Amino acid sequence: MNRKKDKGFESPRPYKLTHQVVCINNIKSFFRDKSVIGYVELTIFPTVMNLNRIKLEASSARIYRVRVNDLEGLHSFTNDPTLEVCHHESKQRNLNYFSSAYTAAVSAVDPDAGNGELSIKVPSELWKQGDEMKVMKVYIEFSLDQPKGGLHFVVPDVDGSMAERAAHVFSFGNQNSTRFWFPCVDSYSELCTWKLEFTVDASMVAVSCGDLVETVYTHDMRKKTFHYMLPIPTAAPNISLAVGPFEILVDPYMHEVTHFCLPQLLPLLKQTMSYLHEIFEFYEEILTCRYPYSCFKTVFVDEAYVQVSSYASMSIFSTNLLHSGMIIDQTPVTRRCLAQALAQQFFGCFISRMSWSDEWVLKGISGYIYGLYLKKTFGVNEYRHWIKEELDKIVEYELKMGGVLLHPTFSGGKEKDNPTPHLHFSIRHPHTLSWEYYKMFQCKAHLVMRLIENRISMEFMLQVFNKLLSLASTASSQKYQSHMWSQMLVSTSGFLKSISNVSGKDIGPLIKQWVDQSGVVKFFGSFAFNRKRNVLELEIRQDYTSSGTQKYVGPIKVTVQELDGSFNHTLQIEENSLKHDIPCHSKSRRNKKKKIPLMNGEEVDMDLSAMDADSPLLWIRIDPDMSILRKVEFEQADFMWQYQLRFERDVVAQEEAISALEIFPTPASRLALTDILEQDQCFYKVRIQACFCLAKIANSMMSTWTGPPAMKSLFTRMFCCKSCPNIVKTNNFINFQSYFLQKTMPVAMALLRDVQNLCPKEVLNFILDLIKYNDNRKNKFSDNYYRAELIDALTNSLTPAISINNEVRTVDNLNTDVRLILEEITRFLNMEKLLPSYRNTITVSCLRAIRMLQKNGHIPSDPSLFKSYAQYGHFVDVRIAALEAVIDYTRVDRSSSELQWLLDLVQNDPVHYIRHEILSMLAKNPPFTKAADSLLCNEALVDQLWKLMNSGTCHDWRLRCDAVNLYYTLFGLTRPSCLPLPELGLVLNLKEKKAVLNPTIKSEQGPGGPEVTTTMAFTSTLEEEHVVMEPALSGVAMAPQGLKRKAETPLGSSPEPGQVMQEEPSAKASVKSKFPTQEEEDIDMDTVHDSQAFIYHHLNMLERPSTPGKEPSSVEQAMLSMPGTPMPTLSKESTSSKHGDHHHHHHHHEHKKKKKKHKHKHKHKHKHESKDKDRDSHAFSNSPASGRSIRSPSLSD
Amino acid sequence: MADSVVMGSGSLNSGSRSGSSKTSTSPTDNYQLARRRTLQVVVSSLLTECGFESAEKAAMETLTEMMQSYITEVGRCAKATCEHTARSTPTLSDVVITLVEMGFNVDTLPVYAKRSQRMVITAPPITNASVVPKALIAGQKRTHPTYIPSHFPEFPDPHTYIKTPTFREPVSDYQVVREKAASQRRDVERALTRFMAKTGETESLFKDDISAFPLIAAKPSAIPYLSALLPSELELQTLEETDSSEQDDQTDTENNSSNVSQDDQSADKENVVLPPGGVVPTGKANEENMTDNPYLRPVKKPKGRRKKLKFIY
Repeated sequence: MNRKKDKGFESPRPYKLTHQVVCINNIKSFFRDKSVIGYVELTIFPTVMNLNRIKLEASSARIYRVRVNDLEGLHSFTNDPTLEVCHHESKQRNLNYFSSAYTAAVSAVDPDAGNGELSIKVPSELWKQGDEMKVMKVYIEFSLDQPKGGLHFVVPDVDGSMAERAAHVFSFGNQNSTRFWFPCVDSYSELCTWKLEFTVDASMVAVSCGDLVETVYTHDMRKKTFHYMLPIPTAAPNISLAVGPFEILVDPYMHEVTHFCLPQLLPLLKQTMSYLHEIFEFYEEILTCRYPYSCFKTVFVDEAYVQVSSYASMSIFSTNLLHSGMIIDQTPVTRRCLAQALAQQFFGCFISRMSWSDEWVLKGISGYIYGLYLKKTFGVNEYRHWIKEELDKIVEYELKMGGVLLHPTFSGGKEKDNPTPHLHFSIRHPHTLSWEYYKMFQCKAHLVMRLIENRISMEFMLQVFNKLLSLASTASSQKYQSHMWSQMLVSTSGFLKSISNVSGKDIGPLIKQWVDQSGVVKFFGSFAFNRKRNVLELEIRQDYTSSGTQKYVGPIKVTVQELDGSFNHTLQIEENSLKHDIPCHSKSRRNKKKKIPLMNGEEVDMDLSAMDADSPLLWIRIDPDMSILRKVEFEQADFMWQYQLRFERDVVAQEEAISALEIFPTPASRLALTDILEQDQCFYKVRIQACFCLAKIANSMMSTWTGPPAMKSLFTRMFCCKSCPNIVKTNNFINFQSYFLQKTMPVAMALLRDVQNLCPKEVLNFILDLIKYNDNRKNKFSDNYYRAELIDALTNSLTPAISINNEVRTVDNLNTDVRLILEEITRFLNMEKLLPSYRNTITVSCLRAIRMLQKNGHIPSDPSLFKSYAQYGHFVDVRIAALEAVIDYTRVDRSSSELQWLLDLVQNDPVHYIRHEILSMLAKNPPFTKAADSLLCNEALVDQLWKLMNSGTCHDWRLRCDAVNLYYTLFGLTRPSCLPLPELGLVLNLKEKKAVLNPTIKSEQGPGGPEVTTTMAFTSTLEEEHVVMEPALSGVAMAPQGLKRKAETPLGSSPEPGQVMQEEPSAKASVKSKFPTQEEEDIDMDTVHDSQAFIYHHLNMLERPSTPGKEPSSVEQAMLSMPGTPMPTLSKESTSSKHGDHHHHHHHHEHKKKKKKHKHKHKHKHKHESKDKDRDSHAFSNSPASGRSIRSPSLSD
Repeated sequence: MADSVVMGSGSLNSGSRSGSSKTSTSPTDNYQLARRRTLQVVVSSLLTECGFESAEKAAMETLTEMMQSYITEVGRCAKATCEHTARSTPTLSDVVITLVEMGFNVDTLPVYAKRSQRMVITAPPITNASVVPKALIAGQKRTHPTYIPSHFPEFPDPHTYIKTPTFREPVSDYQVVREKAASQRRDVERALTRFMAKTGETESLFKDDISAFPLIAAKPSAIPYLSALLPSELELQTLEETDSSEQDDQTDTENNSSNVSQDDQSADKENVVLPPGGVVPTGKANEENMTDNPYLRPVKKPKGRRKKLKFIY
């Protein structure tokens, strides 16, 4: 583990940044041309002698002029390798190759490693100054012309001035993306103070980080300059800007807090912000620390990149979070967003991180304190429900996709090469992560914080946070001692150290289990009651072999509810012990009429007739406090689940019981669920869950079901008029639990089916009546969500149309019920045009309903309606719903034109969020998958997607990762099967002096790549002609070198990266041995590309000409042949490869026939071959990302 | 004297004009004025008969007053005489007796009436005597029961003391009311949307019959978030109504909610209590912060050169 940082933070740069000035003045009109002109000035202290080169990040900026201490400096602008990850000439199309190349490219400009695409040569006159360690001022003039990333311009196309049009601009980005809008050291670990100046039109407001010092008119009085000072050291990624004709609201409770929204929305802003002060008070109280910045600003913008993004002393929100007082559903959502934003102000903005691998601490703490806020504001039930939800989410994700690793370590001698071989992307950089993974990462981080809290108590936990914060605020006030500022950076080791200092407890095992390892625990439990011994024999097994799981050893809490009370037992899970005997306290025969004490001290009467007469056990819960990240599958009798549902007071237990009862469709289950549903003391989310469970049970009990359809009489009793039970009361949503229940019950009821598998007529009419009699005139709240859910209920009631022959769907042969439904939907959708509902919820539901009608064959399937709703200019929720329908259509109808239309939208839509959503929805509902053949899967599509992720999405890391995800979903890790066979490649092995027919082509398929799910690995690879899997491992294998390189970077007298960059394509174009081959090697195009993964090996080799590939055989000979190999083997193997040797580069020939056997062998083999391997890799330097040549220590191997 | 007052109809006209302009428009007033005006004309014509060419206004008034008093006295006495004989309507003989009593030689009267040079006065303009509107007769008046003598006052109209049957039972049945409201709304909505669909662009779900289920075409707007976020006017209206009327009885009905909703609820209540500006602290504090906040400070004028704040550190 990387714990060497105890001494403090070591900057990867040969200088320390102390202050930066950013000045942006719109000489041309900001909005008309969407261009930005400005300058930055960085004040730096060299920390080495003879600082001659300064590297900065400035992704797409055009640099006009660079001066260092008023001397003209030379700058060279490396072509950002992330602009085009793989050269377009490359015919290589496998994802392994791309992933490794992409990782290499990102590393090449990773500021955390001291890299950057803008390289400034310090004038030689100043070299001497380095000796005296004097201040240097680096002044850079730059401009951005219609930037695709970094800044987002929203300019509505209406008449009027820019202010009247509500035109605005704001900064955005995933992780450190500040480089997209001004040159900086774009690292979370390089802190400095800031002076920010923005000149904007007089009608606009520029909101940025820090204190607004003053606002000054320009000479012509048509513009204003906003001067901001940020005296608290802050990392560049935490700097942001928003400019627009904002309406300003000073918070009535806290005058230093200012809110901004777009014109006309001020009333909503007032409503939305009326509770922000409570959140402030809460955090300040629990952290016993004042809010670190002297002011706070919230800005609500349209077309936001994410709902919430936090920057130093300001947060940018989506304007769609604003709501009026009449809206119920949005209120808690918005509150949560505000609370998240504020939590990140403390941990994330004020306290930054040392490196990417420490991110989990920040996300964990901010997520954890946000959870505490939830607990306080929304109650313990809501909190526990949320924890369960998050736990279920992470468990599901990890079991499906493989483990999520919180603290990846890449450096040092003992590390494995790739901690996450199951993923199709590298977790080495935040910019290579799939968005879904990152969300899960955050989710896991805060759950782990909660585990730590369980371990050391909340009091200590808060003390630790307070300590971190107070250290940081002391450091932040040290204006002239910038070395102190590293106290404001949190690292894993520092965090763990303060935990052990404060609590005196060793949480090492916990950290090792959850932070340093990926995976969750999967328990299977069952029990038997031994009557003779009066002992409960509990068996707890684990599955730790399937992907995403790990083995758990340690304590586990088991709660047993017996007749005489509830008892906690702590069992020890050990290697080989499966069975645990738990003595029971009660004698089996119950004392009649005795109340039964529950866990919370309550005593209740129970009807015990259902239970087993011989056993005193009512129910058993495993790990009731969720103190392990686990999934528990526990077997107990249905009556036990029913008791648990009725009498256990913990909402988590109730929810578990409900999901367990789904497989027990009995009258007793029905009764238990109905009782819960009726009990208004019960948590409303439990009741909602009970609705859906009841619908399922009712469907399973179809033949024996008696009485009216499930929930109907209940709904009637609760929400309909006493005098006329078929008419619903006029809406009164003052009681929110009832409101949510009222919304949900029809939706669940619509899932009921009769013997013909149709929705019962009675239910459908009931829902139609609800719509008909809905009357909101006397209601204080809007009923838009309620109406939307009624439409959802109609959607749920739909069943596939019976079609006699494949006739075209016409109006005439429309089923009568469907006609009624369609009439409602038409009317709703049309009314929405005249009286739009909040967030157009009704349109959204209608679109979904129409798609469902199409899908079930009631109306002709046609995407044109959805396409018109998906246009730019509709509300974002509507667009998403419409796009979802188009995507679904694309899949069902296999329409290539629609797919093309979607991909065009991905490339051209102005809204980043929409582009991201299209790709992620496509990945969730793919038009085809790698497992199945499809006409859609053709070369053009492969090329288009490849282009998209290779170069089309370079301005937005999130989007690029989405594209990678989609590519992975469609084609898998290896070469897409639809591509034509490559020419047969001859593989020359010069070393062994023989030519071999490319083995992978020759015969059998390779054993498959390191797929995420091992089960799938085989099926997918079977169709592959060529198996290329080297890069997945090697892509991360560069880690050691990467780190060492840090130290060497400044000294390395490498050729200008830019030059190399230019050279290479030409080398490639002219192809083949233009340069003399200096080494013996396999000449194989694929390996050449794969060699991207080895950039770090041969960075130093650039002095020597690189060797381009010879044959475009695009075959990879090396097989990392371990499809079904369990993790342990893999990790061992990768451990051994840490020496930089990339096995199986050569021995593919041996492998081809015994591919299965050899998987255990080659981990030995590569040792012998490591030498050649290394040399091999050096040769393949034909990568764009290799534009840097640094002497790699691994060379000496 | 002759030049001081214009005699005859001239004075009448002027009098009537001034009178009408002065007086209020109450019908009884009008009536009295008209009567007096007629008397004035009479007096004037008598004077003209007697050979006067003009008269002072005061003299005219006095004469008119005398005339009126005389006539009034005749009427009063005639009434008294007639009531003396237990009648309610005076007869000619009553008047004669009165005149005799007042010392007037009745026998001269026919001669005087038939004198040759008498002036004929046109009938006074019909001052439409305010017609008392007939009381509404609703239903059949009840006749007296046998034990009540018939001279007793009649029963008042039945509607004043017993329930009035209307032509139909009012719809008090809740179900029907709701039914009606619902179908009315639905009809209005359907008609409106059909109309909108007919008059504008539409999209259709069916290829074969475009007019079936017409959908109003989706039109992108330049600023889509405004209509999606701001409450519609209808909703605002509803909110106002419910705020004033229903608010109170609603809030106290159910308060036993658990955390989520309770919190929301309390916040919402709070917001209702707040003035729309959300200004909670005193107005003074608010004023202070107005000047306090850097974003509300006035923008500075450029001073000669723009200030350079670049090198603060």
